[in-house]
Amino acid sequence: MGANQSLPKITAQDKAILDLKLQRDKLKQYQKKIHAVLDREHAIAKSQIAAGQKDRALIALRRRKYQQTLLTKTDQQLENLEQLVSTIEFSLVEVSVVHGLKQGNEVLKEIHKEMNLESVEKLLEETAEAREYQREISDMLANTLTLDDEDAVQNELLALEEAEKEIHPEISLPSVPEQQPVHVVTEGIHQCCYLVSSVSFIISTPDRKPAGTQKVAIAG
Amino acid sequence: MSLSTYTTTSGFLLPSIHSAPPFFTEQPNPTTQATATAQWSRLILAYARHKKLFILRVEDVETSGSDWDEILRNTRINRKILPGYLSNIMEAMVAQNLAVYEPVKQTRSVLVYWRLPEEWAEVLYDWVISTGQLNTILTFYDITDPPLESLLTGIPISLLRKAISILSKTGRSQTIAIADGEGVRFLARSK
Repeated sequence: MGANQSLPKITAQDKAILDLKLQRDKLKQYQKKIHAVLDREHAIAKSQIAAGQKDRALIALRRRKYQQTLLTKTDQQLENLEQLVSTIEFSLVEVSVVHGLKQGNEVLKEIHKEMNLESVEKLLEETAEAREYQREISDMLANTLTLDDEDAVQNELLALEEAEKEIHPEISLPSVPEQQPVHVVTEGIHQCCYLVSSVSFIISTPDRKPAGTQKVAIAG
Repeated sequence: MSLSTYTTTSGFLLPSIHSAPPFFTEQPNPTTQATATAQWSRLILAYARHKKLFILRVEDVETSGSDWDEILRNTRINRKILPGYLSNIMEAMVAQNLAVYEPVKQTRSVLVYWRLPEEWAEVLYDWVISTGQLNTILTFYDITDPPLESLLTGIPISLLRKAISILSKTGRSQTIAIADGEGVRFLARSK
Protein backbone atom coordinates (compact mmCIF):
# COMPACT_ATOMS: atom_id res chain seq x y z
CA MET A 1 0.00 0.00 0.00
CA GLY A 2 3.00 2.23 0.45
CA ALA A 3 1.44 3.43 3.66
CA ASN A 4 4.63 3.00 5.59
CA GLN A 5 6.43 5.69 3.68
CA SER A 6 3.79 8.26 4.54
CA LEU A 7 4.16 7.77 8.28
CA PRO A 8 5.64 10.85 9.88
CA LYS A 9 8.93 10.48 11.69
CA ILE A 10 8.91 10.22 15.44
CA THR A 11 10.74 13.30 16.58
CA ALA A 12 12.28 14.12 19.92
CA GLN A 13 9.33 16.44 20.50
CA ASP A 14 6.91 13.57 20.09
CA LYS A 15 8.84 11.57 22.60
CA ALA A 16 8.91 14.44 25.04
CA ILE A 17 5.14 14.89 24.74
CA LEU A 18 4.57 11.21 25.23
CA ASP A 19 6.82 11.26 28.28
CA LEU A 20 4.85 14.12 29.79
CA LYS A 21 1.57 12.39 29.10
CA LEU A 22 2.80 9.19 30.68
CA GLN A 23 3.81 11.15 33.75
CA ARG A 24 0.34 12.64 33.81
CA ASP A 25 -1.18 9.17 33.63
CA LYS A 26 0.97 8.09 36.54
CA LEU A 27 -0.27 11.02 38.58
CA LYS A 28 -3.85 10.14 37.71
CA GLN A 29 -3.29 6.58 38.78
CA TYR A 30 -1.68 7.81 41.97
CA GLN A 31 -4.77 9.88 42.68
CA LYS A 32 -6.90 6.81 42.18
CA LYS A 33 -4.78 5.03 44.73
CA ILE A 34 -5.16 7.88 47.23
CA HIS A 35 -8.90 7.78 46.79
CA ALA A 36 -8.83 4.09 47.61
CA VAL A 37 -6.70 4.78 50.68
CA LEU A 38 -9.12 7.50 51.80
CA ASP A 39 -12.01 5.09 51.59
CA ARG A 40 -10.05 2.43 53.43
CA GLU A 41 -9.05 4.73 56.29
CA HIS A 42 -12.61 5.89 56.58
CA ALA A 43 -13.79 2.31 56.86
CA ILE A 44 -11.09 1.57 59.45
CA ALA A 45 -12.09 4.57 61.55
CA LYS A 46 -15.69 3.48 61.41
CA SER A 47 -14.98 -0.06 62.52
CA GLN A 48 -12.70 1.17 65.33
CA ILE A 49 -15.43 3.44 66.63
CA ALA A 50 -17.86 0.56 66.48
CA ALA A 51 -15.35 -1.48 68.49
CA GLY A 52 -15.07 1.34 71.00
CA GLN A 53 -11.42 2.16 70.29
CA LYS A 54 -11.61 5.89 69.94
CA ASP A 55 -7.86 6.58 69.83
CA ARG A 56 -7.32 4.05 67.03
CA ALA A 57 -10.12 5.70 65.06
CA LEU A 58 -8.46 9.06 65.60
CA ILE A 59 -5.18 7.78 64.20
CA ALA A 60 -6.95 6.45 61.13
CA LEU A 61 -8.66 9.80 60.63
CA ARG A 62 -5.33 11.63 60.96
CA ARG A 63 -3.79 9.39 58.32
CA ARG A 64 -6.79 10.11 56.15
CA LYS A 65 -6.34 13.84 56.55
CA TYR A 66 -2.70 13.56 55.54
CA GLN A 67 -3.63 11.64 52.41
CA GLN A 68 -6.14 14.33 51.60
CA THR A 69 -3.43 17.01 51.63
CA LEU A 70 -1.40 14.78 49.31
CA LEU A 71 -4.37 14.63 46.99
CA THR A 72 -4.64 18.39 46.72
CA LYS A 73 -0.90 18.60 46.07
CA THR A 74 -1.08 16.08 43.27
CA ASP A 75 -4.00 18.01 41.87
CA GLN A 76 -1.79 21.05 41.54
CA GLN A 77 1.00 19.03 39.95
CA LEU A 78 -1.45 17.49 37.57
CA GLU A 79 -2.66 20.92 36.58
CA ASN A 80 0.91 22.03 35.92
CA LEU A 81 1.62 19.01 33.79
CA GLU A 82 -1.55 19.36 31.81
CA GLN A 83 -0.88 23.02 31.22
CA LEU A 84 2.57 22.20 29.96
CA VAL A 85 1.24 19.53 27.63
CA SER A 86 -1.42 21.87 26.29
CA THR A 87 1.11 24.63 25.79
CA ILE A 88 3.41 22.34 23.86
CA GLU A 89 0.59 21.06 21.70
CA PHE A 90 -0.58 24.58 21.04
CA SER A 91 2.92 25.70 20.10
CA LEU A 92 3.09 22.81 17.65
CA VAL A 93 -0.10 24.10 16.09
CA GLU A 94 1.45 27.55 15.93
CA VAL A 95 4.55 26.13 14.27
CA SER A 96 2.42 24.52 11.59
CA VAL A 97 0.50 27.77 11.13
CA VAL A 98 3.76 29.67 10.67
CA HIS A 99 4.95 27.00 8.25
CA GLY A 100 1.74 27.40 6.27
CA LEU A 101 2.13 31.16 6.22
CA LYS A 102 5.71 30.81 5.02
CA GLN A 103 4.72 28.55 2.17
CA GLY A 104 1.88 30.81 1.19
CA ASN A 105 4.21 33.76 1.20
CA GLU A 106 6.68 31.99 -1.06
CA VAL A 107 4.00 31.03 -3.53
CA LEU A 108 2.83 34.62 -3.59
CA LYS A 109 6.37 35.80 -4.19
CA GLU A 110 6.81 33.48 -7.13
CA ILE A 111 3.57 34.62 -8.63
CA HIS A 112 4.66 38.22 -8.25
CA LYS A 113 7.94 37.43 -9.93
CA GLU A 114 6.09 36.47 -13.07
CA MET A 115 3.90 39.52 -12.80
CA ASN A 116 6.09 42.57 -12.12
CA LEU A 117 4.73 46.07 -12.49
CA GLU A 118 6.61 46.93 -15.69
CA SER A 119 5.32 43.98 -17.60
CA VAL A 120 1.77 44.65 -16.45
CA GLU A 121 2.09 48.27 -17.56
CA LYS A 122 3.44 47.19 -20.89
CA LEU A 123 0.69 44.66 -21.26
CA LEU A 124 -2.00 47.23 -20.53
CA GLU A 125 -0.43 49.65 -23.02
CA GLU A 126 -0.40 47.02 -25.67
CA THR A 127 -3.99 46.19 -25.01
CA ALA A 128 -4.99 49.84 -25.31
CA GLU A 129 -3.11 50.10 -28.60
CA ALA A 130 -4.78 47.03 -29.94
CA ARG A 131 -8.17 48.38 -29.00
CA GLU A 132 -7.43 51.68 -30.71
CA TYR A 133 -6.37 49.83 -33.81
CA GLN A 134 -9.57 47.82 -33.77
CA ARG A 135 -11.64 50.99 -33.45
CA GLU A 136 -9.90 52.55 -36.41
CA ILE A 137 -10.61 49.53 -38.51
CA SER A 138 -14.29 49.51 -37.66
CA ASP A 139 -14.49 53.27 -38.31
CA MET A 140 -12.96 52.74 -41.68
CA LEU A 141 -15.44 50.03 -42.51
CA ALA A 142 -18.38 52.15 -41.35
CA ASN A 143 -17.23 55.09 -43.47
CA THR A 144 -17.44 53.05 -46.65
CA LEU A 145 -21.19 53.72 -46.70
CA THR A 146 -21.84 56.90 -48.71
CA LEU A 147 -24.60 59.41 -47.90
CA ASP A 148 -26.73 58.07 -50.74
CA ASP A 149 -26.48 54.61 -49.37
CA GLU A 150 -27.49 55.89 -45.94
CA ASP A 151 -30.61 57.55 -47.46
CA ALA A 152 -31.51 54.35 -49.22
CA VAL A 153 -31.29 52.49 -45.95
CA GLN A 154 -33.52 55.02 -44.23
CA ASN A 155 -36.08 54.75 -46.99
CA GLU A 156 -36.08 51.02 -46.75
CA LEU A 157 -36.78 51.25 -43.04
CA LEU A 158 -39.74 53.61 -43.65
CA ALA A 159 -41.15 51.30 -46.28
CA LEU A 160 -40.97 48.37 -43.88
CA GLU A 161 -42.80 50.36 -41.23
CA GLU A 162 -45.55 51.26 -43.74
CA ALA A 163 -45.97 47.67 -44.73
CA GLU A 164 -46.31 46.69 -41.11
CA LYS A 165 -49.09 49.26 -40.62
CA GLU A 166 -51.04 47.91 -43.59
CA ILE A 167 -50.97 44.38 -42.30
CA HIS A 168 -52.11 45.36 -38.83
CA PRO A 169 -54.36 48.44 -39.10
CA GLU A 170 -55.03 50.23 -35.86
CA ILE A 171 -58.16 48.98 -34.11
CA SER A 172 -60.41 51.63 -32.63
CA LEU A 173 -61.97 50.41 -29.42
CA PRO A 174 -64.91 52.08 -27.63
CA SER A 175 -63.90 54.17 -24.70
CA VAL A 176 -64.93 53.56 -21.09
CA PRO A 177 -68.19 55.36 -20.11
CA GLU A 178 -67.43 58.57 -18.28
CA GLN A 179 -70.58 58.72 -16.12
CA GLN A 180 -71.18 56.61 -13.03
CA PRO A 181 -74.09 54.24 -13.46
CA VAL A 182 -77.09 55.40 -11.37
CA HIS A 183 -78.64 52.87 -8.99
CA VAL A 184 -82.28 53.56 -8.35
CA VAL A 185 -84.20 51.45 -5.84
CA THR A 186 -87.98 51.57 -5.95
CA GLU A 187 -90.45 49.99 -3.58
CA GLY A 188 -92.05 47.84 -6.20
CA ILE A 189 -88.80 46.08 -7.10
CA HIS A 190 -89.21 43.40 -4.42
CA GLN A 191 -92.64 42.38 -5.56
CA CYS A 192 -91.61 41.89 -9.13
CA CYS A 193 -88.36 40.10 -8.62
CA TYR A 194 -89.66 37.28 -10.75
CA LEU A 195 -89.92 39.77 -13.54
CA VAL A 196 -86.20 40.48 -13.30
CA SER A 197 -85.34 36.83 -13.60
CA SER A 198 -87.73 36.30 -16.46
CA VAL A 199 -86.41 39.24 -18.46
CA SER A 200 -82.77 38.72 -17.58
CA PHE A 201 -82.03 38.07 -21.22
CA ILE A 202 -82.23 41.81 -21.65
CA ILE A 203 -79.07 42.19 -19.61
CA SER A 204 -77.11 40.02 -21.96
CA THR A 205 -78.06 41.97 -25.06
CA PRO A 206 -75.13 43.89 -26.50
CA ASP A 207 -76.68 47.39 -26.89
CA ARG A 208 -78.02 47.62 -23.42
CA LYS A 209 -78.88 50.76 -21.60
CA PRO A 210 -77.24 51.74 -18.30
CA ALA A 211 -78.35 49.43 -15.51
CA GLY A 212 -80.24 52.08 -13.57
CA THR A 213 -82.71 52.98 -16.29
CA GLN A 214 -83.22 49.38 -17.14
CA LYS A 215 -84.25 48.50 -13.58
CA VAL A 216 -86.62 51.43 -13.48
CA ALA A 217 -88.25 50.21 -16.64
CA ILE A 218 -88.79 46.72 -15.17
CA ALA A 219 -90.17 48.08 -11.91
CA GLY A 220 -92.68 50.17 -13.81
CA MET B 1 -43.36 -27.38 31.31
CA SER B 2 -43.55 -23.92 29.86
CA LEU B 3 -40.44 -21.83 29.51
CA SER B 4 -40.47 -18.11 29.22
CA THR B 5 -37.98 -15.33 28.76
CA TYR B 6 -36.93 -13.37 31.79
CA THR B 7 -35.64 -9.84 32.16
CA THR B 8 -32.85 -9.50 34.70
CA THR B 9 -32.39 -6.57 37.06
CA SER B 10 -29.78 -5.11 34.71
CA GLY B 11 -32.35 -5.13 31.92
CA PHE B 12 -30.98 -8.11 30.00
CA LEU B 13 -33.55 -10.35 28.37
CA LEU B 14 -32.66 -13.97 29.05
CA PRO B 15 -33.81 -16.46 26.41
CA SER B 16 -36.39 -19.02 27.42
CA ILE B 17 -33.84 -21.84 27.20
CA HIS B 18 -32.11 -20.27 30.20
CA SER B 19 -35.04 -21.46 32.33
CA ALA B 20 -34.56 -25.08 31.26
CA PRO B 21 -32.61 -27.12 33.84
CA PRO B 22 -30.85 -29.32 31.23
CA PHE B 23 -29.30 -26.22 29.73
CA PHE B 24 -26.96 -26.08 32.73
CA THR B 25 -25.51 -29.57 32.39
CA GLU B 26 -23.57 -31.19 29.59
CA GLN B 27 -25.60 -33.46 27.36
CA PRO B 28 -24.39 -36.91 26.38
CA ASN B 29 -25.72 -36.58 22.83
CA PRO B 30 -23.09 -34.73 20.78
CA THR B 31 -25.66 -33.07 18.49
CA THR B 32 -27.68 -31.78 21.41
CA GLN B 33 -24.48 -30.70 23.09
CA ALA B 34 -23.32 -28.78 20.01
CA THR B 35 -26.60 -26.86 19.91
CA ALA B 36 -26.38 -26.09 23.61
CA THR B 37 -22.80 -24.86 23.25
CA ALA B 38 -23.82 -22.60 20.39
CA GLN B 39 -26.67 -21.25 22.52
CA TRP B 40 -24.31 -20.64 25.42
CA SER B 41 -21.72 -18.83 23.36
CA ARG B 42 -24.40 -16.64 21.83
CA LEU B 43 -25.77 -15.89 25.29
CA ILE B 44 -22.32 -15.08 26.65
CA LEU B 45 -21.56 -12.71 23.75
CA ALA B 46 -24.92 -10.96 24.04
CA TYR B 47 -24.56 -10.52 27.78
CA ALA B 48 -20.98 -9.29 27.47
CA ARG B 49 -22.14 -6.72 24.94
CA HIS B 50 -25.01 -5.71 27.22
CA LYS B 51 -22.81 -5.14 30.27
CA LYS B 52 -19.57 -4.30 28.42
CA LEU B 53 -17.72 -7.22 29.96
CA PHE B 54 -14.44 -8.38 28.49
CA ILE B 55 -13.04 -11.14 30.67
CA LEU B 56 -14.82 -14.37 31.52
CA ARG B 57 -13.19 -16.67 34.06
CA VAL B 58 -14.03 -20.22 34.99
CA GLU B 59 -14.06 -19.17 38.62
CA ASP B 60 -16.90 -16.70 37.88
CA VAL B 61 -19.17 -19.73 38.28
CA GLU B 62 -18.10 -20.26 41.85
CA THR B 63 -17.96 -16.73 43.18
CA SER B 64 -21.38 -15.34 43.73
CA GLY B 65 -21.81 -11.67 42.97
CA SER B 66 -19.55 -11.77 39.91
CA ASP B 67 -20.44 -9.77 36.82
CA TRP B 68 -21.62 -12.89 35.07
CA ASP B 69 -23.98 -14.07 37.81
CA GLU B 70 -27.15 -13.32 35.90
CA ILE B 71 -26.40 -15.81 33.14
CA LEU B 72 -24.16 -18.38 34.81
CA ARG B 73 -26.77 -19.00 37.50
CA ASN B 74 -30.50 -19.30 37.50
CA THR B 75 -31.76 -19.07 41.05
CA ARG B 76 -35.38 -19.41 39.93
CA ILE B 77 -34.75 -23.03 38.98
CA ASN B 78 -31.84 -23.43 41.37
CA ARG B 79 -29.24 -24.21 38.70
CA LYS B 80 -25.78 -23.02 37.88
CA ILE B 81 -23.38 -24.05 35.16
CA LEU B 82 -20.57 -26.32 36.28
CA PRO B 83 -16.96 -25.09 35.93
CA GLY B 84 -15.97 -27.98 33.68
CA TYR B 85 -18.85 -27.26 31.32
CA LEU B 86 -18.02 -23.57 31.17
CA SER B 87 -14.41 -24.44 30.46
CA ASN B 88 -15.54 -26.57 27.51
CA ILE B 89 -17.74 -23.77 26.20
CA MET B 90 -14.81 -21.39 26.45
CA GLU B 91 -12.69 -23.81 24.47
CA ALA B 92 -15.35 -23.98 21.76
CA MET B 93 -15.55 -20.17 21.64
CA VAL B 94 -11.79 -19.87 21.28
CA ALA B 95 -11.90 -22.43 18.45
CA GLN B 96 -14.49 -20.28 16.65
CA ASN B 97 -12.54 -17.05 17.19
CA LEU B 98 -15.31 -15.68 19.40
CA ALA B 99 -12.83 -15.37 22.23
CA VAL B 100 -9.15 -15.77 23.02
CA TYR B 101 -7.40 -17.00 26.10
CA GLU B 102 -6.29 -13.99 28.07
CA PRO B 103 -3.55 -14.17 29.22
CA VAL B 104 -2.33 -16.75 26.76
CA LYS B 105 -1.05 -20.18 27.72
CA GLN B 106 -3.81 -20.97 30.20
CA THR B 107 -7.42 -22.04 29.85
CA ARG B 108 -9.06 -20.49 32.91
CA SER B 109 -10.03 -17.11 31.52
CA VAL B 110 -10.93 -15.73 28.13
CA LEU B 111 -11.26 -12.33 26.51
CA VAL B 112 -14.68 -12.32 24.91
CA TYR B 113 -14.88 -10.94 21.38
CA TRP B 114 -18.34 -9.40 21.24
CA ARG B 115 -16.62 -7.13 18.78
CA LEU B 116 -13.85 -8.58 16.67
CA PRO B 117 -10.50 -6.77 16.84
CA GLU B 118 -11.15 -5.46 13.32
CA GLU B 119 -14.44 -3.94 14.52
CA TRP B 120 -12.76 -2.52 17.58
CA ALA B 121 -10.18 -0.93 15.30
CA GLU B 122 -12.96 0.93 13.48
CA VAL B 123 -14.63 1.94 16.75
CA LEU B 124 -11.31 3.25 17.99
CA TYR B 125 -10.63 5.19 14.81
CA ASP B 126 -14.12 6.70 14.79
CA TRP B 127 -13.68 7.76 18.40
CA VAL B 128 -10.35 9.41 17.61
CA ILE B 129 -11.91 11.33 14.73
CA SER B 130 -15.01 12.36 16.64
CA THR B 131 -12.90 13.69 19.51
CA GLY B 132 -10.54 15.47 17.13
CA GLN B 133 -7.45 13.63 18.27
CA LEU B 134 -5.88 12.84 14.93
CA ASN B 135 -2.13 13.55 14.93
CA THR B 136 -2.20 13.85 18.71
CA ILE B 137 -0.03 11.57 20.73
CA LEU B 138 -2.17 9.51 23.07
CA THR B 139 -1.19 7.16 25.82
CA PHE B 140 -3.07 3.91 26.26
CA TYR B 141 -4.44 5.29 29.49
CA ASP B 142 -5.92 8.20 27.53
CA ILE B 143 -7.91 5.70 25.50
CA THR B 144 -8.96 3.25 28.20
CA ASP B 145 -9.76 5.88 30.84
CA PRO B 146 -10.93 9.05 29.10
CA PRO B 147 -12.36 11.79 31.35
CA LEU B 148 -15.72 11.24 29.66
CA GLU B 149 -16.80 7.66 29.33
CA SER B 150 -16.56 6.42 25.78
CA LEU B 151 -17.20 3.18 23.93
CA LEU B 152 -13.61 2.27 24.66
CA THR B 153 -13.66 2.83 28.39
CA GLY B 154 -12.22 -0.20 30.11
CA ILE B 155 -11.06 -1.98 26.97
CA PRO B 156 -8.27 -4.40 27.88
CA ILE B 157 -4.83 -3.26 26.78
CA SER B 158 -4.20 -6.47 24.84
CA LEU B 159 -7.32 -5.92 22.76
CA LEU B 160 -6.42 -2.26 22.29
CA ARG B 161 -2.99 -3.27 21.04
CA LYS B 162 -4.58 -5.59 18.50
CA ALA B 163 -6.89 -2.85 17.26
CA ILE B 164 -3.98 -0.42 16.98
CA SER B 165 -1.86 -2.89 15.06
CA ILE B 166 -4.77 -3.46 12.66
CA LEU B 167 -4.98 0.29 12.08
CA SER B 168 -1.23 0.51 11.57
CA LYS B 169 -1.49 -1.96 8.68
CA THR B 170 -3.49 0.63 6.78
CA GLY B 171 -1.22 3.46 7.87
CA ARG B 172 -3.74 4.92 10.27
CA SER B 173 -1.78 4.53 13.47
CA GLN B 174 1.78 4.73 14.62
CA THR B 175 3.06 3.46 17.92
CA ILE B 176 5.72 5.40 19.74
CA ALA B 177 7.75 3.67 22.39
CA ILE B 178 10.01 5.27 24.94
CA ALA B 179 11.72 3.92 28.02
CA ASP B 180 8.78 4.82 30.25
CA GLY B 181 5.98 3.32 28.20
CA GLU B 182 4.14 3.45 24.94
CA GLY B 183 1.94 5.85 23.08
CA VAL B 184 0.10 5.94 19.84
CA ARG B 185 -0.61 8.54 17.22
CA PHE B 186 -3.52 8.23 14.82
CA LEU B 187 -3.19 9.57 11.32
CA ALA B 188 -5.62 10.60 8.69
CA ARG B 189 -6.48 7.91 6.18
CA SER B 190 -3.73 8.04 3.58
CA LYS B 191 -5.58 8.13 0.32
